Amino acid sequence: MMHIHKRTFSDWALDAFVYGFMIVLGLITLLPMVHVFATSVSAEWALLSGKVNLLPVGFQLDTLTKVFTSHVFVRAFGVSVFVTVVGTALSILLTAVTAYPLSKRHLPGVSYVMVLFVFTMLFNGGLIPNYLLIRQLHLIDTLWSLILPGMISVFNMLIIKSYYEGLPEALEESARIDGAKTYTILFRILLPLSMPVLATIALFYAVGFWNDYFNPMLYINDPALKTLQLHLRDVVMEVDSSNAINKSADDLMNMSPEGIRAATVVASTIPILLVYPFLQKYFIKGALVGSVKG
Amino acid sequence: MRKTKKWAALTVAASIMLTTAACGSNSNNGGDNNAAASNSPSTAANESQNTGGPKPELRALFRAGGDYNTDPIALMLQEKTGYTVKYDSLPTDKPEDKLNLLMASAEPYDIVTTNGDGGFKALYADYAKKGALVDLTPLIEKYGQNIKASVSQESLDAVKVDGKIYAIPTRTIEYVGVSLMIRKDWLDKLNLQVPTTLDELTHVLQEFKEKDPGGNGSNNTPMSIKGDTPMVDNIAGAFGIANEWNAVDGKLVPRAIDPAFKDYLTYMTDLYKQGLLDKEFAINKDATMKEKFTSGRAGVIPLHWADIPAIDDALKKNFPDAQYVYVPALKGKDGKAGLAQMDGFDRLTFIPKASKHPEDAIKWIDAKLEPETFKDLAIGVEGVHHTVQDGNYYPILPAFNDERSSGSNFVSGVDETNYPIYWQARVRKDDRLYAGFDFLNNQQPKEVDMPNLLGLAPYLPQYSADNAQLTQMANDYTVKVIVGGESLDKFDDYVAKFQKNGGEDSYNEVNEWYATVQK
Repeated sequence: MMHIHKRTFSDWALDAFVYGFMIVLGLITLLPMVHVFATSVSAEWALLSGKVNLLPVGFQLDTLTKVFTSHVFVRAFGVSVFVTVVGTALSILLTAVTAYPLSKRHLPGVSYVMVLFVFTMLFNGGLIPNYLLIRQLHLIDTLWSLILPGMISVFNMLIIKSYYEGLPEALEESARIDGAKTYTILFRILLPLSMPVLATIALFYAVGFWNDYFNPMLYINDPALKTLQLHLRDVVMEVDSSNAINKSADDLMNMSPEGIRAATVVASTIPILLVYPFLQKYFIKGALVGSVKG
Repeated sequence: MRKTKKWAALTVAASIMLTTAACGSNSNNGGDNNAAASNSPSTAANESQNTGGPKPELRALFRAGGDYNTDPIALMLQEKTGYTVKYDSLPTDKPEDKLNLLMASAEPYDIVTTNGDGGFKALYADYAKKGALVDLTPLIEKYGQNIKASVSQESLDAVKVDGKIYAIPTRTIEYVGVSLMIRKDWLDKLNLQVPTTLDELTHVLQEFKEKDPGGNGSNNTPMSIKGDTPMVDNIAGAFGIANEWNAVDGKLVPRAIDPAFKDYLTYMTDLYKQGLLDKEFAINKDATMKEKFTSGRAGVIPLHWADIPAIDDALKKNFPDAQYVYVPALKGKDGKAGLAQMDGFDRLTFIPKASKHPEDAIKWIDAKLEPETFKDLAIGVEGVHHTVQDGNYYPILPAFNDERSSGSNFVSGVDETNYPIYWQARVRKDDRLYAGFDFLNNQQPKEVDMPNLLGLAPYLPQYSADNAQLTQMANDYTVKVIVGGESLDKFDDYVAKFQKNGGEDSYNEVNEWYATVQK
């Protein structure tokens, strides 16, 4: 039902204000990215002279090409993709499988197990104990140290659990009558039904794995296993002024030009930018999961 | 039914297998995590026989810098020394924290090479005192003939902790890095000579301001500097305060409280008042300052010769007829002149107690310093990577860049006599760079080279603790005075504050050490 009344001045003013504010906010977020994109395709001399603002000057694709074909970048990219894909797949599988029995209230000991899970959300050993744990499991310098620790996020598991609780009992009962055992019910019926929520959680996991910088920095020493975020950090930090004073002549002579830094940032962001629109459909649908009952 | 059960069981089995495979492939079997003392590595199999069994694989930890494992230098070293080395690298971001973590968990690295500067010097001294490092003194005696021949006693003394050598120091190349760069075409336009004294510099800047040879109008900036370095190289030297600590009457005095500092401040304030110094210099970053030069607004900036090629490209693109030259060491009123010269240690290489092959580690370091191998590491093979003319080394591009550019990362100690000569091949990579380097290092009279005497000091706890904040205090004060925010009448108050906040303690500590190295 639309209100039909004449738009007063205050309506216009409010609209103008809101639009204006949001546009400014949007620009504040967008323009720096545009600048980085422009920097990545501009000529080095233009960058040194400070001539590049929003539009590239001296357009060239060499820097971007150099980054995309640099074997360090490609390898770091590959490592990140591996960790993200395998991590997300395992995480979704295990989180869903964990959530299912916990959604059955009638099972003995369910609430006790739930308490244990929630406990881990509140208390954490801290940096050193975690490091020692990973070390004693001989996972240092392997990609599993990046995947296994964060594999089941209790928070995500709770979301899936409440989704399962929302599904009617009758569904399972009728399946059992038809002779289905537990695994069939889970994999053939419930999982396909919970696609929206699983897709959302998968996205959460995927973004988490892709962006993770801390775990690789802590557990990975081998340069061949560096993830993209680590590599990106190395490239961008190279010119951090706090390091500048201590650079030897060799470092100064070997320092990568400004364009390379921007190009690496762009090269790391483009894949996510390309993939995101396809997943956005699920993301929006899934974010509303559980918000309206029935 | 049965199929799904099997399928599920298979998944579980597969994950278990994957995990164990991952564990198995990881060759690191770090035992218990008692740091320090308890781990005396077994060297029974590796006694002094050089023949004997195959050489063990060594594990090295270097500072951040690309993938060492695929570097051509690593392959060359493996051939020449016979040791296979697996390289790991520290992160660029907060490497000290990662290093602490690795040392504390007794990660069995055989060789650790870190930067040689303040933060790492402190960590090194700390590890040595806590007993986490292998005492290298006997090992060098036994296996380190090349080390002894290459690394000077002076360098080794500087890294002694409690009289024992725990690290192999890599001596920096001693060179002058920064001076003022001036637009020669502006000078020519106004029929001016390159300034050689402070007064001439002031005069040139005044002409730049009045006559505006760059046609910049209101953007005309005769000289620009950056906010984090208000002590401008070359100019500071003309007051006798080229380095952070300078020798005055047999003592090392920090320039922040040197009496000549007041004269420096007077001079710079005067420049600022006359509009000869960039009004915005306090907020200038390094990039901003260079932008002003390359876009033709500034006539003079302090510049390191390593930056010359990039600046040249940018400047010539914007102004094809532009020319630039270095200003020689300016003479101050007492005829004083000085250019700060880098000295100290680029790297420190030490062996953690957790290492399983300390003797092989020293042998590897020693093998790297074998004259032919070391030359190959530094500048490659004659005819392939470099050529020799009149005892000088010239790089062959692109082979030199492709295969030997990360040489400085692989050294643990250098042949201190020959490395400075070999190293010149690196600055010959680019003619413009070499012209700048040559001007400052070879064509200036030797008297103006002011080596950084503090670079060779061992770890000084008091000095290290206070240095950062004292430097910040001095810089802030300098900027404030120059822009006119604070008057020079209060100079003594500032000195008193400086001394109270650790300046005095640092001074005493530094000079205690300095007295021991004075002949």
